Amino acid sequence: MDETRQRLTNCFQVVFPDMPPDEIPAASTATVANWDSVAAITLMNVIEDEFGMQMDLDDLADLDSFEKLLAYLQKRQQVA
Amino acid sequence: MNITEALKITQSVPRDARPFAVTLACGFTPLHLQTFLAAYIQQSIPDRKVTISTGLYGNLVGTLESISAESLPDGLVIALEWPDLDARLDYRSAGSWSAAAVNDIVSHAKSALDRLASALAKILAGPRISLSLPTLPLPPLFHTPGWQASAHQLHLESDLLRFAADVAQEGRVAIVNTQRLDEASPADARFDLKSDLYTGLPYTTQHADRLASQLATALLPPAPKKGIISDLDDTLWSGIVGEIGPDAVTWDLASHAQLHGLYQKLLGSLADSGTLIAAASKNDPAVVRQAFDRPDLLLRTDQVFPIEVHWKAKSGSVTRILETWNIAADSVIFVDDSPMELAEVAAAHPGIECVLFPKNDYAAGLAMLRQLRDRCGKERVSNDDALRLESIRQGAAFREQTAGGTAPETFLQDINAVVTFDFAAGNEPRVFELVNKTNQFNLNGRRYTESDWRKLISAPGAVLAAVRYEDKFGPLGTIAVLAGQVDGRCLNVDAWVMSCRAFARRIEHQTLKLLFGSAGVSEMQFSFAPTAKNGPTREFFTAVLGEEPQSDFRLTRSQFEEKCPALYHEVREMRRAEAHG
Repeated sequence: MDETRQRLTNCFQVVFPDMPPDEIPAASTATVANWDSVAAITLMNVIEDEFGMQMDLDDLADLDSFEKLLAYLQKRQQVA
Repeated sequence: MNITEALKITQSVPRDARPFAVTLACGFTPLHLQTFLAAYIQQSIPDRKVTISTGLYGNLVGTLESISAESLPDGLVIALEWPDLDARLDYRSAGSWSAAAVNDIVSHAKSALDRLASALAKILAGPRISLSLPTLPLPPLFHTPGWQASAHQLHLESDLLRFAADVAQEGRVAIVNTQRLDEASPADARFDLKSDLYTGLPYTTQHADRLASQLATALLPPAPKKGIISDLDDTLWSGIVGEIGPDAVTWDLASHAQLHGLYQKLLGSLADSGTLIAAASKNDPAVVRQAFDRPDLLLRTDQVFPIEVHWKAKSGSVTRILETWNIAADSVIFVDDSPMELAEVAAAHPGIECVLFPKNDYAAGLAMLRQLRDRCGKERVSNDDALRLESIRQGAAFREQTAGGTAPETFLQDINAVVTFDFAAGNEPRVFELVNKTNQFNLNGRRYTESDWRKLISAPGAVLAAVRYEDKFGPLGTIAVLAGQVDGRCLNVDAWVMSCRAFARRIEHQTLKLLFGSAGVSEMQFSFAPTAKNGPTREFFTAVLGEEPQSDFRLTRSQFEEKCPALYHEVREMRRAEAHG
């Protein structure tokens, strides 16, 4: 598992402590009942803490799955 | 603290920990404020599981009004913002900012504050409450340019402060100090308009963190330190008194020694509110006495006791002062201008808080004055606080006359002791304070939140006795509390504490004697637990039981009467709430 994926997994574990680790890669707002608007903003803040970056609230609606968040982070890291 | 740390703190609590329910009342989406608040409160009470419930968006007063006697939380936190006083002050609102609307906003805000005060009045007898006044700037709706305060704005602020002063006076509402919050959270780094409009949370993450920290501290403040032991030369005054003489040491503005004068004034103010003040100095006692006799000293000499002056180690002075005060080192602050002396005392007295007096650094001096106030400050000052130092002096005289620790019978017979049992003092702040700060004579070391305490003393069959004492040496004030419940012929004692100032007077015996009689019970069940500090309690029970208790135990009336020594107190009882006026 690459480093970004692992760090994002850690973020999910902080925000969704009851989620089994093997379910995290497939997590999305459609599959995780607790992933509501409050959890989405909390997740965004935890990712900001972990990766030392600022995320835009405008992006929040589109970042609705683990895979999309991972792709977003990888893209941000490439630009940086 | 960041969000990740806050979440980890709240998630690390054992699931079966006893819950501590907090209601967070705010008109906005609480989001991170709730997360941070839970984490800070959790840090204050690590053995509890903090849960936070919130009310409906935009209805802070409604949240308060929905709290009923049957649904009282353990703590109530109120984060007030301007939109709670009028929705037109909300950036998310489409309400008008016209000139006519502005007049109406001021008027409506006053009504909203009245409604808020009324809602608070209904729950004042309930949980402890912390409240923050609006922390965000008003929107630019007034006709004046932003650099000029408009009359409307000043009216709003005036009404707000009047409301805050009124509710703060009630005692149970702790208002967050806006000046202190200004230091922790810069005004221009608080408001996040985008977050407000997108999520309903108007705070930046940093501001949510800082405000939550202060709201949590106001809700569950740390126990104040009980005493300050101060050095003299270059600390209480400027100069070495043994070298320049008692008339040449200074603490005034003209001598550029005002920092020492401010320190004296602070110690005097703390002494007035019950903080014990003592001096420890390597000096000639006669010279120090002359300095203390100077009429321009800003700290009254009678506010300092004991004064330890000699040439031996200061750690020894601290030992004797702690013995005289009969309190532990971790309840005390030691102030000295010498890092070496601080280190010597710290090594001998683990737990004591050592503070360097920064004699030539004014910024550090101001920080020290504020630190001392923060550590020793009290929310309320009671009559017992005023009595404390005098009763310790009397205690020293008492101990001198009863040298060896066991009071001779003739001495106890002749001191005209009066013990008053007050059975209607459960809501007295002093009673709650005593229960939560007493260590040595403490049945089990248990600490109570205000809500836990209320539940205990209002349970069916509850008995609460607050004990006051006085003798020919003077009054000691309220010095003991016992709380429990009568169950048939047994009194279950959950809490029993007695101030160390009241030891050796057989008050503990009188307490049991009276309760066996007045509660009509034939035995008592004590919820006992040994702690690192409650040795005196163990010794008392060992003498009564004939063996050292290890956990809960029962004591029959006949067992007690067999071991109870002669008691010479005059006993008075107060049973009605009217007795408190």
